[in-house]
Amino acid sequence: MHTRKRQGTDFVEPDLPITPMLDMSFQLLAFFIITFRPAPTEGQIALALPKDERPGAVTPRFPMDVPPAQLTVRVTAAANGTIERVTISEPGSAVFAKDLGAKVEAVRDELATVAAGLSRENRPARLTLELDEKLIQEYVVQLMDTGVRAGFADLSPVPIDPNRR
Amino acid sequence: MSHGGSDKCEPNFTPLLDLVLQLVMFFMLCANFVMDQTNVEIKLPSAIAAKALESTVDYAIYLNVNEQGKVILTASDQFTDTEGKVTDTLDNAEQVRIFLVRRAKEDLAAAGPAGKDKPPRSVIVLRVHKECSFEKTYAIMKACRQAGYLKVQLRAIRHSGAE
Repeated sequence: MHTRKRQGTDFVEPDLPITPMLDMSFQLLAFFIITFRPAPTEGQIALALPKDERPGAVTPRFPMDVPPAQLTVRVTAAANGTIERVTISEPGSAVFAKDLGAKVEAVRDELATVAAGLSRENRPARLTLELDEKLIQEYVVQLMDTGVRAGFADLSPVPIDPNRR
Repeated sequence: MSHGGSDKCEPNFTPLLDLVLQLVMFFMLCANFVMDQTNVEIKLPSAIAAKALESTVDYAIYLNVNEQGKVILTASDQFTDTEGKVTDTLDNAEQVRIFLVRRAKEDLAAAGPAGKDKPPRSVIVLRVHKECSFEKTYAIMKACRQAGYLKVQLRAIRHSGAE
């Protein structure tokens, strides 16, 4: 019977140097931890676009059972683009425009009160934001945010009519 | 009797290395990659009511509007004006309108005869710098409307309001 003779009795264990790899990994980890900056979460606020004023342009009309309540918030801006004065009015109503000063909190409270009343009547509402052209985007979004949080889904930002200033 | 004085005592680095490599992989994947459709120079206003884009609307047109009211085009976009000059910004509302009309035509052509190959983009997401005046923003909104787009959304940083 043929027997195989084992050659080289010394068994050499393969040695994988982990330490330098670990050093490099720690350096990479440190780099990514230091440079890590999570991206802010972005979201959208939907808005109704202005009417197409060109001749012959057709604006789609959607049938509604109940005519929506029209509410207008007019905002004038200071020279630096911040809010100067806010008034709220309902076109066609006997109530005059209500002056809310320059605080967005006052607008929020007033809109919430109006929205609650309309909700009880089960009446849709349309909020028109008449904004000063100088008003900066930060306040535009802040006012739209206030409107949405108060319960208005149909928001339309438009510039103040220069004839009605 | 020997108590193993000559035995070499080595810590086991392998699980530690596994963990570190996993952490490295996590940070690499979560690194703040610049998205193609967004511009990092645009500082957005914040809003509590801002909602995430609906999953059904994953194919929108992004317009990045800077502080001066100019639309900054992404790296993949270019605009050729009426004089044949190629630019990477849209300086006025008329240029925005022409750009969007061209985009709509391209989208409709890509959609194929049945309109099912690649649905045309119907939503415009406006990423407007928080210092941009409403006059400029409104001009762009009007241009979107004139180009035939009806759905426009303003983008904002979502925050919880707990401040």
